[in-house]
Amino acid sequence: MHGERRAQRSLQRLLGATLCRVDVVPDLATATIDEDTIVVVDSAIAMTALDACKRDARAWIAVPGEGLQPADPPAVSALLQAGWDHVVAHPMPLLAEELLATAQKLIRRDCFGLEKYMVWGAEVRAFQLEDAVERDAAVTAIASDVTRVGLPDRIGSLVSVIADELLANALYAAPVDEHGARHRAHDPRDRSRPLAGRDAVTLRWSTDGRYLAIEVRDRWGSIEPAAIEGRLATTKTSTAEGGMGLPLAYACSNQLVVNVAPGALTEVIALLDIRYKPTELARSASFHAFWGDPP
Amino acid sequence: MSRLQTEVAGNRLRFAGRIDETAQLAPLVGQLPPGPITLVPEDVTFVNSVGLREWIRFVRALRESGHAVTLERVADVLMTQMNLIGELHGLPITSFHAQYECPTCRHEEQPLVDATLPPVACVECGSPMQLADFPERYLTIFRT
Repeated sequence: MHGERRAQRSLQRLLGATLCRVDVVPDLATATIDEDTIVVVDSAIAMTALDACKRDARAWIAVPGEGLQPADPPAVSALLQAGWDHVVAHPMPLLAEELLATAQKLIRRDCFGLEKYMVWGAEVRAFQLEDAVERDAAVTAIASDVTRVGLPDRIGSLVSVIADELLANALYAAPVDEHGARHRAHDPRDRSRPLAGRDAVTLRWSTDGRYLAIEVRDRWGSIEPAAIEGRLATTKTSTAEGGMGLPLAYACSNQLVVNVAPGALTEVIALLDIRYKPTELARSASFHAFWGDPP
Repeated sequence: MSRLQTEVAGNRLRFAGRIDETAQLAPLVGQLPPGPITLVPEDVTFVNSVGLREWIRFVRALRESGHAVTLERVADVLMTQMNLIGELHGLPITSFHAQYECPTCRHEEQPLVDATLPPVACVECGSPMQLADFPERYLTIFRT
């Protein structure tokens, strides 16, 4: 759904690569949407119908508007605040890479794993935390690899913050007790806690010369994407009292992806584009939330 | 990764290392002389969300105890994160490090600049370097 013919053609070819049927329409009123439809909407149209994402469909995806130029931060914030689970912020070629991966994850109902964002041949490294105090060691390991790859200090600094925040989220915000209370949220963060069974936390990372992907998994599946989206949308006005970890990780990323198997697994993937200067990309990061069965 | 080190010299307070859950900032408020205070967080290497919250509380406590607070030579990693926090907007900052990139040879560095974001020559090839990020990532904090 896009009002501009040239953008319509680009999106049609891109989504056509999935070999699924693609219907192009100029507006919401002419669209036929059912629970299996993946609806891709120009963000300018989405902004005029923020509640559209509440209608039944497999997914609602907002993409950049006129000329497929980078999305404006206020539009991204408004869409996240309204509950859109997929907001693509970046221009081509990131748009193409991001939209195709998103569509295929939805079509195949297979959402987990950072490999879906990497080209074949990229090495994937992993760090399984045995104890909560190994968070620093895990961050040091990924930072060391970033240096070894030859990426600039700017990327190294972002990677350290993102990995630290995603790990802290998995270690302290994810665990819930039998009443659903997040009972580890106020644990001292320098205290030893062996991590076994559902407490297991894994950090994985990879780079393919386009992206650097950082993935953190916990076995709780307790994250609520809708609650996160609201916080991401309001980062800049935050008074910094509570819940700043994921918004900070989002602010440091170019794309934040949350994959959830409720009650079983949460996987958060942060993607940094290492090809372009930040000023060549959108000012805000893209966001995606997926639900699926654990692998 | 090194824990936060602090050094008080007159009305100047220098910071080096990590601002995270191990950083003890609150006790510093009582160790400072009355009057204006200059914070110099030039050698801060890492800031996470817990550390950023502690930093905000520290600055708030200084102001509430009557100190006029100025920041000088702020590390890039702290500068970009402070720009995300509305409460800190308008805080006086005389200089900070910012990410610059040379469009000719792609050399990156973090020179000390002020809110005018002046041109900087590349130390490798001499070409004029450019700010490598959106200006608002550094300048939003100057708006009141």
